[in-house]
Amino acid sequence: MSLNIDSIAGAFYGYVPFGDIVFYFTEFSLIGFIIALFFTLVVYLTKPEKQLESQIGDFGDKLNYVSLEELKIRRLMAIICGICTAFAMLTGDLFDYALFLAVIGIANMGIVSAVKKEGVLSAAFYYGIIAMISTLPLFGASALILAKTGTLSILELAKNSHDLLFQKIIYAVGMVGETGIAPFYAAKAEMFRAPGAPYILMIHLSSLLIIVRTVEIMLNIH
Amino acid sequence: MNIGKIWNYISKPEVVPRLFAAFLCLILAIEFFVPTTYYGDQLYPKDTPQGQIFKSNLAPYDRGGIPLIKPADIKTQYPQFEPIKGKITAYLTPLSLWLSEKTPYFGTTIVSTPGGILDEILYYTRGMDTILESLTLLVSFMIFSWIYLNRDRVE
Repeated sequence: MSLNIDSIAGAFYGYVPFGDIVFYFTEFSLIGFIIALFFTLVVYLTKPEKQLESQIGDFGDKLNYVSLEELKIRRLMAIICGICTAFAMLTGDLFDYALFLAVIGIANMGIVSAVKKEGVLSAAFYYGIIAMISTLPLFGASALILAKTGTLSILELAKNSHDLLFQKIIYAVGMVGETGIAPFYAAKAEMFRAPGAPYILMIHLSSLLIIVRTVEIMLNIH
Repeated sequence: MNIGKIWNYISKPEVVPRLFAAFLCLILAIEFFVPTTYYGDQLYPKDTPQGQIFKSNLAPYDRGGIPLIKPADIKTQYPQFEPIKGKITAYLTPLSLWLSEKTPYFGTTIVSTPGGILDEILYYTRGMDTILESLTLLVSFMIFSWIYLNRDRVE
């Protein structure tokens, strides 16, 4: 079966085949890929911020900083998150994309898990619960799309009309939960209060890129 | 009802999973009644549950073929990207070959997975999926072990 490149939105620049899972480059996915990789490089090279917390009605400001062993695990998680976000921009397979979302979700929790702050950790715990329950609609929708169309490749799904509206709704709900209800940043606002700027911002960037990419996939398959 | 109270209620992190679960229940309850169809010509055809059992010792993973002689008949999306299609599934290590002669449930045992049956779909046509599945497990173990080893650390 030949690779269907005509129905995909945007100019098609090339593909990298891994068996049935084909990574493809369009204008959109290439830009997302470069942004995510560039930010991963920034995370790798920069030192984390130091926060000075002023105490209202009291003397003695508090300095929050990221210690070395904490820095190592958080930087590693941020880099895993960045690389997965970058390749999630390229993947041409619905199930593979869902798995990338699962890795990004757990890496997001890893970024804040080393912070010894009660508010941050409990927010990460509730975010983890949302991510766990949203695997059901995410992988369930992939399975429903496979059952209804017989294929998982985005390039093939873009070719013909399959009437996938309701399956796409479940898939989008799964994405919304997996990225932590990202438009509203539910429970993530508390996670952002953790010190260590570039690592925390990786959570933000991955959610934004994933939402835009999911919208692009949902518009491409029909 | 004061809208400020609602905002304050949903701003608590412990409320968000409840709201999301309720929202999910609503969506799935609606979707349950949506008529859908099953497409017969599936990309990865699967036997009925218990369909292979007792016919083959490699139960869910028996895709046919003879090792190094005859490749199994595998259906894939892009055969042009898979030059050795069907040959991987027919491979068994000596240990797993010996085990598969002893038990009819070999395919469902844990030894069938690492170094036992190399399943075509898992390791070749959809290999990237398997990498990501293992990565999820690996990352979660990394997080857990870091938290466990540093549990006595104080700020």
